[in-house]
Amino acid sequence: MSGKLITTIVIIVIALIILSLSIFIIDQTEQAVVLRFGEIINTYSEAGIHFKTPFIDNVKKFEKRILLYDIEPEKIITEDKKTLIIDTYALWKIANPQKFIETMRTKALAESRIDDIVYSHIRNVFAKHTFDEIISDRREEFLREVTKLSREDLKDFGIEVVDVRVKHADLPNENIRAVYERMKAERYSIAAQIRAEGQKEAQKIRAEADKKATVILAEAQSKAEQLKGIGEASSTRIYAEAYQQDPEFFEFWRSLSSYNDIFKNGTVILGDMEILKYFSK
Amino acid sequence: MRKFIVLIVIAIIVVIFLSTGVYQVGPSEVALIKTFGKYSYTTGPGIHFHLPYPIQSRVIVDIQSVRKEEIGFRTVTTYGKVTYRSVPSEALMLTGDGNIISVEAAVQYKVKDPVKFAFNIISGKDIVRFTAESVLRERVAVRKIDDVLTIERDKIAQETAQVLQEILDSYDAGISITNVYLQEVAPPDDVVAAFDDVNNAKQDKERFVNEALKYANDIVPKAEGQAEQILREAEAYAKQKVLEAEGETRRFLSVLKEYRLAPEITKTRLKIEKIQEVLSDIKKVFILDKSGTLKLIDLNQFIGGGSQ
Repeated sequence: MSGKLITTIVIIVIALIILSLSIFIIDQTEQAVVLRFGEIINTYSEAGIHFKTPFIDNVKKFEKRILLYDIEPEKIITEDKKTLIIDTYALWKIANPQKFIETMRTKALAESRIDDIVYSHIRNVFAKHTFDEIISDRREEFLREVTKLSREDLKDFGIEVVDVRVKHADLPNENIRAVYERMKAERYSIAAQIRAEGQKEAQKIRAEADKKATVILAEAQSKAEQLKGIGEASSTRIYAEAYQQDPEFFEFWRSLSSYNDIFKNGTVILGDMEILKYFSK
Repeated sequence: MRKFIVLIVIAIIVVIFLSTGVYQVGPSEVALIKTFGKYSYTTGPGIHFHLPYPIQSRVIVDIQSVRKEEIGFRTVTTYGKVTYRSVPSEALMLTGDGNIISVEAAVQYKVKDPVKFAFNIISGKDIVRFTAESVLRERVAVRKIDDVLTIERDKIAQETAQVLQEILDSYDAGISITNVYLQEVAPPDDVVAAFDDVNNAKQDKERFVNEALKYANDIVPKAEGQAEQILREAEAYAKQKVLEAEGETRRFLSVLKEYRLAPEITKTRLKIEKIQEVLSDIKKVFILDKSGTLKLIDLNQFIGGGSQ
């Protein structure tokens, strides 16, 4: 009885082992290639349970998700002979596991391949354009071209290049110095201009004020002269109207009143003057 | 008895085996259940059970928490104190007019589709970070430095978020960009002094103008006051002239009226009075007559009664 039970258990265990050797599970994030003595007999990209011949078939699994490969920054020379340091990265995935295993075998090898190809296309495409074009809206367009060319070249390796992008596009250190110097010079010149404009404006305001003050004074002076003139004219008319009533008496009267001034000092020398007739008469 | 122990051991093994299927999902998380590696369904927060290994397995993804990538700076927390450290190699960017500017940004994102996020991409964090850097630089590179510093800030953040989202969608990454915040946008340290000088210059300009305005505000009212004074003086002078004339002529006319009553007598009287008045203080008078002889007039002869 117990011998029978043991036999049954042994059979079940053996069956389980064989079963476990003949099935394999592919995860949602994976795809697999089934090799029989090194020969590819099947590829699976669908997740789930799959079967293989135990002991004979060998399963190689590959990543199905998008992979990120950060390419080392490289110096490139633009069409106008400027140097740029371009830091790129590529997103890629294994699109065809069969081709991939035939040509690449490992991810590391694939990455070095991607590095070579992407970098070479970046260099070729960017070298055909000027610095300003690369640092402009058109960069996107160039990158699409690089992506397209790289995708074309890597297709045969079972690799799909999803996207190639530039993380940084920087100037080499020695150029950065020069840019800083230029920026400084530019700013200082702007500052100088602003100050000069301020001075110009201030001078304008001052001159305007000076002019206004001068005009105000001159106008006042002019009006003052007119007023004085009017006063003098009125007084002249008043004198004339009064004195013409008896010019002879006026002459007499006026001469008399001038004596006070004439004889102010102790000693006086008189010439042959009109007023002297009053002395001789 | 031996049988019983074997049964207990088997039961314990079964329980442990089954317990591999018990899992807990946090409040901000979801669990993606895979059956034989293939995604089959999603469960929300709570305690759940799935079939034990190797039949089902789970991936837990946080879908509520906002994740953050920092570009150009890092948040450093030491003893609960948050400080920021600049990373110039990330922050420095070329602008469209060939200048260099330092831009720091924070990108906030969350998982909008856990299935895509878990099964389509590997290093989601790096993908967001690299793509954000790339897009941000592009957006900065198409603008002039002054615009980046001032009016275009918001636009850059907005465009970066938008383009970043489009690119991530094209990867089927299942990521949603919630926000791109531009933090400090400033000229590089080496040229800050020069930029500050421009600001100082603007202040100086204001100052020059204000000083000039002060001068103008001082000089014009002063001139106006002076003008008033000149005018009042002129008016006074005119008035004075007229009043003098009126006074003098009135005096003259008064005398004239009396004079007409007896002209000769009055004339003589006035003459004598005047001579008396004028010569009372004078000792000697020399007269130069027509013949050119200088005559000394003895005043006593005229007036009479002098002491000498």
